[in-house]
Amino acid sequence: MNFDLTEEQQLIGQSARDFAKQYLEPIAVGLDQTGEYPKAVVQALAKHDFLGLLLPADVGGAAAGFVSYVEVIEDLSRYCGAVASIVNNHTVAAYTIQNWGTAEQKKQYLPAMAKGELLGGFAIFENGPMPGVGQDALIATKHDVGYVLNGKKAFVRNAGEAGVYVVFATTDPAAGAKALTAFIVQASAVGVKVGEKQETMGLKGCPVAEITFENVVLAETALLGSLNQGAEIAAKALAVASVAEAAQTVGIGQAAVEHAAAYAKQRVQFGKPVAVLQAIQTLLAEVATDCHLARLGLRNAALLIEDGKPFEVEAAMVKSFLVRLGPKMLIDTCQVEGGFGYSETMPLPRMFRDIAGTTLLDAPGDFPEKLIAANIA
Amino acid sequence: MSILSPEQLAIQKTAKEFVAKVIIPNAAKYDKSGEFPTMLLEAAKASKIFAMAVPKEYGGLNYDALTQALVLEEWGYGCAGMGTTLAASILSMDSVLVAGTDAQKSAYFKPMLNAEIGSFGLTEPGAGSDAAAGKATAVKKGDNYILNGTKCWITNGGFASVYVIFALTDPAAGVKGISAFILQRGLPGFTIGTTDHKLGIRASNTVELLLKDVQVPATNLLGKEGEGMKIAMMTLDMARPAIAALSVGLAQRALDACVAHVHTRFPGKPFPGQTLQFKLADMQIMVEAARDCLHQAMLLRDAGAPYTKESAICKTFCSDVAMQVTATAMSLMGSYAYTSDIGKYMRDSKIMQIFEGTNQIQRLVISRAVLAHPPAPIAAQKAGK
Repeated sequence: MNFDLTEEQQLIGQSARDFAKQYLEPIAVGLDQTGEYPKAVVQALAKHDFLGLLLPADVGGAAAGFVSYVEVIEDLSRYCGAVASIVNNHTVAAYTIQNWGTAEQKKQYLPAMAKGELLGGFAIFENGPMPGVGQDALIATKHDVGYVLNGKKAFVRNAGEAGVYVVFATTDPAAGAKALTAFIVQASAVGVKVGEKQETMGLKGCPVAEITFENVVLAETALLGSLNQGAEIAAKALAVASVAEAAQTVGIGQAAVEHAAAYAKQRVQFGKPVAVLQAIQTLLAEVATDCHLARLGLRNAALLIEDGKPFEVEAAMVKSFLVRLGPKMLIDTCQVEGGFGYSETMPLPRMFRDIAGTTLLDAPGDFPEKLIAANIA
Repeated sequence: MSILSPEQLAIQKTAKEFVAKVIIPNAAKYDKSGEFPTMLLEAAKASKIFAMAVPKEYGGLNYDALTQALVLEEWGYGCAGMGTTLAASILSMDSVLVAGTDAQKSAYFKPMLNAEIGSFGLTEPGAGSDAAAGKATAVKKGDNYILNGTKCWITNGGFASVYVIFALTDPAAGVKGISAFILQRGLPGFTIGTTDHKLGIRASNTVELLLKDVQVPATNLLGKEGEGMKIAMMTLDMARPAIAALSVGLAQRALDACVAHVHTRFPGKPFPGQTLQFKLADMQIMVEAARDCLHQAMLLRDAGAPYTKESAICKTFCSDVAMQVTATAMSLMGSYAYTSDIGKYMRDSKIMQIFEGTNQIQRLVISRAVLAHPPAPIAAQKAGK
C-alpha cells in the first residue's frame, strides 16, 4: 500500500492549509465564543471548491477523490474543528445523493451544493434506541402522490442552515429500522420545523438541532435509492462520514500536540525546559504516535473508498481506535500545558472541547467492534 | 451495609440534600457565566460547612478527614467548581492548622464559621510544579514584613477574607528561604489582578494576586522563617485528597448520567448488550476503586499514620479515573452527552489532574516511595517446584 500523496493530493492539501490559515485561523476563537454560523467562510469554502471536492466535474465538483478530501478535512480541522464539521456534514449529504440519487435528483441538487448555494444536512439519528424505533421515530406513510413524513430527527448538524436534508424515515413502524428509507427533503418544505439550536460542548458554529416533521408531503421523486434501502445507505454513508470525522480528530490532535511540544520547549521549570523531562516526552510521544497511526489508518480507508473497494471494516477500526485514543490526545496535551494551558485564552481548551465531538458513538448498541470482530479472518 | 458510622452517614445525607437544593440547580448557570456564586456562601452560612475542618475548640465542625472527603465528594458530584471553592478554602486553613499559633488559628478560622473563605497563594507564573522557584519576597522591617511579588492561578483569590501567602525571606537560601504568611483581604498594596477564564471549574474563582509593598505584621508569620516549603508540603499532603474526593464525585455523576441515559434509550431492555454493559461495569469498577483508595488514605490520616504516598496515590488515581470515566460517558452517550452537562464534567475533570500538584509530580512522589523500599530477595526455588 502506498501512503505517499500524489502531487495533486499534496497540492490540494497545501491549498487547504493556505485557506485555513487565511480564513479559519482568524475566526476560530470568535466562532467558538459566539457559536454563530460562519456564513462568509462557508461561501469562501465554496469559492475554493472545498464544498464539492468529491463531486464529479459535470455537476461542478472538483472530483478530487477521497484521499484528498480527508487531507483537506484534516487541514481545516487543525485550525477550526467547527468548519470542518460543517464541511463533513454537507459532504456526506452530497455523497449520498451522488451515489444513490437518480439523474434528475443529481441535476437538481448537486450543482448548487458544489457551488455552496445549497448546504446539505444529514438527518439519521433519533431519540429511540435506533432509527425507526421509538415514539419519536420518523415515519413515512405512503399516499397517492408520494409520502407523508411525521416524527423527529435528533442532533441534525448544519440544521437551520442547510437548504436540503438527506432524511431517513421508516415506511413501516412495525418493521422499524428494516423499513428505513432515504428521502431528499428541502428545508423549505411545508411542515419541516428546525428546533432551537442546541448548545454543544465544542465545535461551536456548526449548528445542531432537532428537526420536527409535521405532515411533510413529499413527491415520489423525493425517494432516495429504493424503498427500504435506507439502512444500507445510512450504514455506508455513516461509514464514509466516520473516515472524514477521523480526519477531524487527527487534525485537532496534531495541532494540539504541535502546540504542546512548542510550549514544552519554552516552559522552564526546575531550571530546564519541561521538554527535556521524560514524563513530558512520553505524553507528547504517545499523542504523536496515536495521531500518526490514526492517520495511516484513515488514509488506508480513504484509499479503499476512492478505489471503490470495501472499506467498512477499516473505517470501523479507525473509529474504534479513535474513540479510545482521540479524547486522550487532548487530555494529555493539556496536561503538558498545565495551569497555563487550562486557561481559555490558550488554544488547547477549545480543541479539548472540539475533539470530544469527533469521537462520539452516536449509533447506540452498534459499536464499531461488532463489524471488526465479524470480519477477522 | 456501609463501613461508615451513623454520624458519617447522617453528614453525608445532609451534604447530599444541600447539594441537591443549592448546588445542582445553579451549577450550569455559573459554569456558563464564570461568575463566582456568592449565593453559595450565603446558603452555606447556616450549616458552618466551610468550617468543617475547623477544630471544635475554635467553634468548627471538627470533621475527621474521611467525613470531609464524604462531603467533598457530594460537592464534586453537584458542581466541581463550587466544590473547588470549599476545597481551596480548607487547603488554606490546613496551613494554619499545621503551623499556626493558637492566636493565628483563632483569627484565621473565625471567618470560616460564617462561610467566609480562605485562599492559598503558593504558585507563581514561573513556579508551578517547581514550587521552589517563586520570586515573591518578604523583607523584615521592624515589626513587619514587606511583601512584594505576583501569585497566579490562586483559587478563591478574589473573594477570600484570609490568605496564606508564600514568599522568600531569604532569597539566597532557595527552598529553605521560603516563609508562609497570613494576610487579610484589603491590606494596602494587596490587590487582585486578572481573573482567569478557564476550561472548567468555572464557578470557582481563579485570579492573580498582586503584592506591592504590602506591610504584614511579624505576628502573621506562620511557623518560623524558612519553614514555608515544609508547611506547603504538609498542607498539600492534607489537601490533595480533597481533589480526589471532588474527582470521585465527578466520576460518579458521569456514571449516573450514563446509566440513566441507557435506561431512557433502551426502555424495557434491562441488558442493552455486553459492549455497553461491560463499559458501564468498568466505569463502576473505577469509581468504586477510586473511592476506596481515597477512603483508605483518609483512614490512615485519621489514625495518625503516615499517608504522604497514599495522599499522592489517591489524588492521581481518582483524578485519572474522573477524566477517563467522564470521557467514556461522553463517547457512549454520543450527541446526547455533547449537548448536555457531560461536557462540563469532562472539562472539570481535566483540572483535577493538574492542580494541587500535577499527576506527574505525584508520580515523582510515589516512585520515590516505591524505590525507597526494595523488596527483600526471595530465596530461589528448585525447578519444578
